[in-house]
Amino acid sequence: MNPVARRILFSLAILGWGAVLLYFHSSGRITKYLAPDFRPIALSGGLGLAVLGLFNLFYCRVSTTCGHDHGDGGACHDHEAPDLHPLAILLLMLLPVGLAVAWTKDEYSASTLARKGLYETPASTPTFLAGSLPALTREEIEKSHSKTPDGYYEFSLMELFYSTGDRDLQNAINGLKVETEGRWVDEKVRNPNGTRKRLYRLFITCCAADSRAVPIILEFGKTPPNQQENGWVKVAGTMTFPLEEGIIQPVLRVDRVLAAEPPYEESFLRN
Amino acid sequence: MSPDARQDFALAFLSILFEGAPFILLGTVLSGFIDVYLPSGAMDRLLPRNRNLAVFAAGLMGAIFPVCECAVVPVIRRLVSKGLPVSCALTYMLAAPIVNPITALSTWKAFQGQNAEMMTGGRLALGFLVACAVGLVVSKLPLRKILKDQLADELEQETTTENRHHHHHEHGDGCGHDHHHDHEGCCGHDHDHHHHHDEKPDPDTRLVAAFRSAMKDFVDVGTYFSIGVVITALFNTGIAPGAEWLDTLATHPATSSAAMMTLAFVLSLCSTSDAFIAATLDKFSWAAKLAFLTFGPMMDVKLIFLYQTVLRKRFILILAASLFIGIGAITVFWHHLMFPTP
Repeated sequence: MNPVARRILFSLAILGWGAVLLYFHSSGRITKYLAPDFRPIALSGGLGLAVLGLFNLFYCRVSTTCGHDHGDGGACHDHEAPDLHPLAILLLMLLPVGLAVAWTKDEYSASTLARKGLYETPASTPTFLAGSLPALTREEIEKSHSKTPDGYYEFSLMELFYSTGDRDLQNAINGLKVETEGRWVDEKVRNPNGTRKRLYRLFITCCAADSRAVPIILEFGKTPPNQQENGWVKVAGTMTFPLEEGIIQPVLRVDRVLAAEPPYEESFLRN
Repeated sequence: MSPDARQDFALAFLSILFEGAPFILLGTVLSGFIDVYLPSGAMDRLLPRNRNLAVFAAGLMGAIFPVCECAVVPVIRRLVSKGLPVSCALTYMLAAPIVNPITALSTWKAFQGQNAEMMTGGRLALGFLVACAVGLVVSKLPLRKILKDQLADELEQETTTENRHHHHHEHGDGCGHDHHHDHEGCCGHDHDHHHHHDEKPDPDTRLVAAFRSAMKDFVDVGTYFSIGVVITALFNTGIAPGAEWLDTLATHPATSSAAMMTLAFVLSLCSTSDAFIAATLDKFSWAAKLAFLTFGPMMDVKLIFLYQTVLRKRFILILAASLFIGIGAITVFWHHLMFPTP
């Protein structure tokens, strides 16, 4: 292929990647893909790709010499010859990205959520997540957690979930009236009477691919009210930790549930 | 693919791509500028004369001249033909993609919340030690068992020429790089330069050449990365056939390390971005991820092809098997030391 045409194709491939990165960043959708630390890096990457692509596009007709030998008898004195045919490179770089941009809904389906721990208990979840939480006593709870007007302590779902695997935290929270928020889904395990739902959020360490579901069980004692599946709700009730089938489960006995606005970070929670 | 599977794949694919692409860019821009601006022979001058010490020094050269595994093979070919000891060249080739600041930074970032310091330190240490071990073994072997005949012939011709002290320095004017004329003992530069300097280097277009080299490296690495991310996203979301089977392998340290090294071999990822893939495979043990991150930059499908431009097929096969067994055994042993089972 003509070197100029090859340079144009490569520049377009790089500009394509840069444009996708910059679009997702400027539209705010990047929050659903990357943890906060990585977003400025992604922005820098998008800008860098744009500069690299535009520079090479602008100077695609300029002839250059590298000014040093290659020790190969001149047989492959070409800094630009790619491993694959340029059109194959263009296809492999842009087709998957294009399809992914067209297909994405910025969230996982129920089956992948199950794979990412939606129905797992804290004991079977990687312990590194638990390490990011501070130790908590009843006195510290009263100091560090604000109360709703009707007397419920405001807790993040993460704290309630990991209290199951920490005896001290469990003792401090057991029987406490708490309010928390998360996404509302059906309870598909240990729900013979149909009185339960499940509340979850996704914890993201770096990117959505490494995210883990952080769930608790909602017990209503009767048929649960109707809420939008996978929609955001605020739930208030009494936190308990019953032993079920040999495993301690985090169960919130619900007093009230209300639909809520999605938080800025949507499904992801960090710190 | 069902609509649910498409949306799952798309989310996982884009998130890994967004995370890894900036690091590939950083690596390839650096590599492009090294390619054009680094004088030939700069590495030779930094190595000690003692052969064993030189091997260890070569293992650390990636910290000064950071290149990924795709870029390192052409560099090695040039360095070997210019007289760099093969043991040092192979040590640098295996270590540089791992023991370099860009790979260290990307590994540390990718493993945030997953013992990032331990994984980064473990990766650098294991990569360095394995590369040096290979270098020391190679230093005891005859060249013809390692290098392709053509390259070995060239080196033997050079040795003959050197012995006869027939120095043909036909550099002409404006060769454009340093030839390191030190004629005490070994003269320290190559004796049969094969310099085809029909074109003089043009300082005005060097920046363009550097950006072009960076672009070429980026599309080469980006293509393999794109394929790797597709496969990883399919496994990550359970869409790929065999994803459940792969999960079952993750439960045992030995099979888990073997499976991850095989995956690294097939995916052929760049060392500047492979940590982002490994970090997302959360069902696998620390040892398996370390094996993936150490074995992958030293041996994968695309490297097999690249290595054949320098090394004998039989040597590549032995090297691949040794690395697979050696890295697998070390990581499993290390895992048992760090996370003893009750």
